[in-house]
Amino acid sequence: MDVFVLGMAVHPPADVVGGKRLEEMVFDTTRAALADAGVKRAEIDHVTIAASDELDGRAISSMLLAMPAGAYLRDETKCTDSGLTGLCLGAMRVASGVFDIGLVVSWNKTSEAPVENVMRMRAEPFYTRPIGLNMAITDGLFAGAVCERYGITPEAADAQARRAYAQALRNPRGMGRAAPTPVAMDASPYVATPLREIHRAPFTDGAVAMVIASGDWLSKSGGRRAKARIAGLGWRSEPYDLGAERLAGLAGFRGAIDDALRTGGGLTPADLDVVELDAQTAFHHLAYEAALGGWGAAVSPGGGAFAQNPYFCTGLVNATEAVRQVSNAAYGVQVAGARRALAHGAHGYAQQGHVAVVFEGV
Amino acid sequence: MNQSVTQPMVIPGEWHVTYNYSTGKIAGQFFEALRERRILASSCSVSGRAYLPPRAYCESSFEPCDGWVEAGHEGVIEAATIVTAKFDNLPEPPYAIAFVRLDGVTTAMVNFVQGLDLSDVPAAIAKLQPGTRVAVRFKDEPEGRITDFHYVRLG
Amino acid sequence: MAHNKQVAVIGTGQTVFKSHHPDRTYVELVQDAAKQALDESGLSPHDIDAVIISMAPTVFMGVNDADRWAVEHVFGANKPVMRVHTGGASGGSAIQAAHAHIASGAYRTVLVVGGDRIAETPDAQLVLNLIWDKFYEQDFALTTVTMTALSAQRYMHRYGATEEQFARVVVRARRNAMRNPHAHLKGEITVEDVMNSPRIAYPYKRFDICPRSSGACAMVVSNLEVAKSQSTRPAFITGVSSITHSVFMGDRMGLWSENEYSDYDGMWRAAKHCYQQAGVVDPARDVQVAELYDPFSTNQFPQIESLGFCGRGRAGAISDDGGWDWNAGGVSISPSGGTLCTNPIGVTGLVRAADAATQVMRTAGEMQVDNVRHAMATAIGGSQQFYTCTLFSADHN
Repeated sequence: MDVFVLGMAVHPPADVVGGKRLEEMVFDTTRAALADAGVKRAEIDHVTIAASDELDGRAISSMLLAMPAGAYLRDETKCTDSGLTGLCLGAMRVASGVFDIGLVVSWNKTSEAPVENVMRMRAEPFYTRPIGLNMAITDGLFAGAVCERYGITPEAADAQARRAYAQALRNPRGMGRAAPTPVAMDASPYVATPLREIHRAPFTDGAVAMVIASGDWLSKSGGRRAKARIAGLGWRSEPYDLGAERLAGLAGFRGAIDDALRTGGGLTPADLDVVELDAQTAFHHLAYEAALGGWGAAVSPGGGAFAQNPYFCTGLVNATEAVRQVSNAAYGVQVAGARRALAHGAHGYAQQGHVAVVFEGV
Repeated sequence: MNQSVTQPMVIPGEWHVTYNYSTGKIAGQFFEALRERRILASSCSVSGRAYLPPRAYCESSFEPCDGWVEAGHEGVIEAATIVTAKFDNLPEPPYAIAFVRLDGVTTAMVNFVQGLDLSDVPAAIAKLQPGTRVAVRFKDEPEGRITDFHYVRLG
Repeated sequence: MAHNKQVAVIGTGQTVFKSHHPDRTYVELVQDAAKQALDESGLSPHDIDAVIISMAPTVFMGVNDADRWAVEHVFGANKPVMRVHTGGASGGSAIQAAHAHIASGAYRTVLVVGGDRIAETPDAQLVLNLIWDKFYEQDFALTTVTMTALSAQRYMHRYGATEEQFARVVVRARRNAMRNPHAHLKGEITVEDVMNSPRIAYPYKRFDICPRSSGACAMVVSNLEVAKSQSTRPAFITGVSSITHSVFMGDRMGLWSENEYSDYDGMWRAAKHCYQQAGVVDPARDVQVAELYDPFSTNQFPQIESLGFCGRGRAGAISDDGGWDWNAGGVSISPSGGTLCTNPIGVTGLVRAADAATQVMRTAGEMQVDNVRHAMATAIGGSQQFYTCTLFSADHN
């Protein structure tokens, strides 16, 4: 693909970004991305937003958020699946030839949204809502199914949770949460068996913005340099109904990655140096690793969701870490000589949707 | 299947989802000033625009707003309508709302227009045409909410 | 234009639109429409590379992200699926996203589909009040009705348009809809019928306002190679453009404003970009059909002017003269009856697009206008904030 990342910004993460309206968070992040790219808003010709009304607490959230995302008098559109999906849509818009340079912006102020309640309302009213499925419960079901399928033990999940916190601590851009003590681990309550609280990546407030451009625009831009090329894209949606195959099969995860490698010019897993996974729990991480089947790539050096987890756009945060890796800017967690990195994002009931984007150094 | 469905079923549902919106500094200052019967517009020194409702950034220049302008308590109607139908959870009709551009401010802001006989709608709306001047009237005890003031026709 | 950037519509499908479909769930409705579009395109579900779902606030249906529920029903299981949402403009944005899927070379065939079931909740207006800013606007009963009423009142003041002129728009729309087997409202009515219907918010009476419709729509879009093998007369998507404004309507009024709210002048910017892409230089002569997003009778005139079909303030007089009537030799405005007769909010923009595309494909049945070379479809969302313009043409660029 002839699409490049020129600049990006991630809002400093926090459990609660207090003192700022959501619009102000988005404005600050968008401006910072433009500054990082050395581009003025006047130069951009389109904006792609990724956001969820229900998670924003507004009936049409882009009404208030389009302007802070730089869309005033610009061609702007919005998808609602995930932040990383927004990057895919934006990249296709640039590759179509209709647009040259634009913004991709996504956010999630999880502290303001009743996330579990929002997820509960995603259940259709006839068969599942009367039972009561939300994110924690479906993640519990997922955890049980993958333990069965991939032979994951509770001890392995505990160990992965500790590893995840330790890895996240190495990323200076993350929350810097201390790893849980053995006492805390033992005391951690079950949420929905076999999932315990300690296995879950805590939610944070965050926002991400990227400036992307066509190779054509770059070549005429008087020497501006890109950070990375978007080499391949893939996204898949699994069926809605939960059942063992749907929970543990990970067809969507594998399919999205296959698509990203294929569109990246027939890449193979061996061509990847880094994979940044959006694993919401320790069980997810282990299941994804099992599905990947022992690739050589470094897995989640940036700490993934345990470094920060603005749920809706965690995948897009992963994308910024992937871009850093291939542009030798992943301070604190740099994988030496990384040339290709894959960013993964997941969304929907028990990860109904998966997105994968491959970045290449320039 | 040996049963025929005579009438499609309906399963009732209701939801009540609560959110907590933080006002941020800009809205916070605006509402504080309302308690003192002052209407503050945020301004941008790059574009020269002054905004009501106030906002933290200027859409035109895409710079943060860096100042405040005190809006005059008179202005001009830009658009108005008289609502005569009842909508769920909204006020009892009839009532009039108008977008008014207060003196010194670039943009117009909406609020109720009171003190007008609305029984003859065409006659009433003729009195609220764009260009009509209005004044701001505050409640006796402002609470720091947008409903602390409303508009009335001048003259 | 490079070969792989041609994008064509090769099939469309619509359900009948009415207040309620008690015997079909949301997912069944969208499947009906998707199946129709696939049948017309001659493709099987297996041939569809990617799916885009058009869906505005899912709150009306009471199921968050209802698009995810629909995935299997629209043949999207284990495929690339995404949902596009720009309020009332969603359908327009969705067809433009499909254009990007294909013109980028990422996919060869895309199914775009959406549905709405407005009547699932009686609280629709409450929901629509919630789109306004919590601090500054919700208290003032801003609704989709009042926000458009304000724009209309301003238009009337600027150009001297009257309520009777808007009533004539409704008469024409309902008459056009009689040729449309899918339309919700249709029939012969008079200007008096409109003027005597109950007042809602000035200048609207009940008949000036669209119905709340439930139903679904789908389109199959492909690259040139697939279009050549599947369709004898595809509709090429030759222009895609949208524009977004400030959410605050008050920013678009008055001496110092960069935009004029009552003129919908943002749409002119989008239309211009669209025409440039398609090589259209004289819209009034080159475009034979415009399917407008017109849930209110007053939505037509400013859009007609912004699309370059006549000068500012002139559309009303031309309307009175029959100049926008169906197949009358000028631009036929909303020959399907438009959104005034059928409004399934989350997918309305897609219905506009389908009605425009079928005119180019010569499959518009009794609605068919003669010699359609170009047909424009518009969609509007938010506080008249998001505008999309999509041009369908008999020939590709």
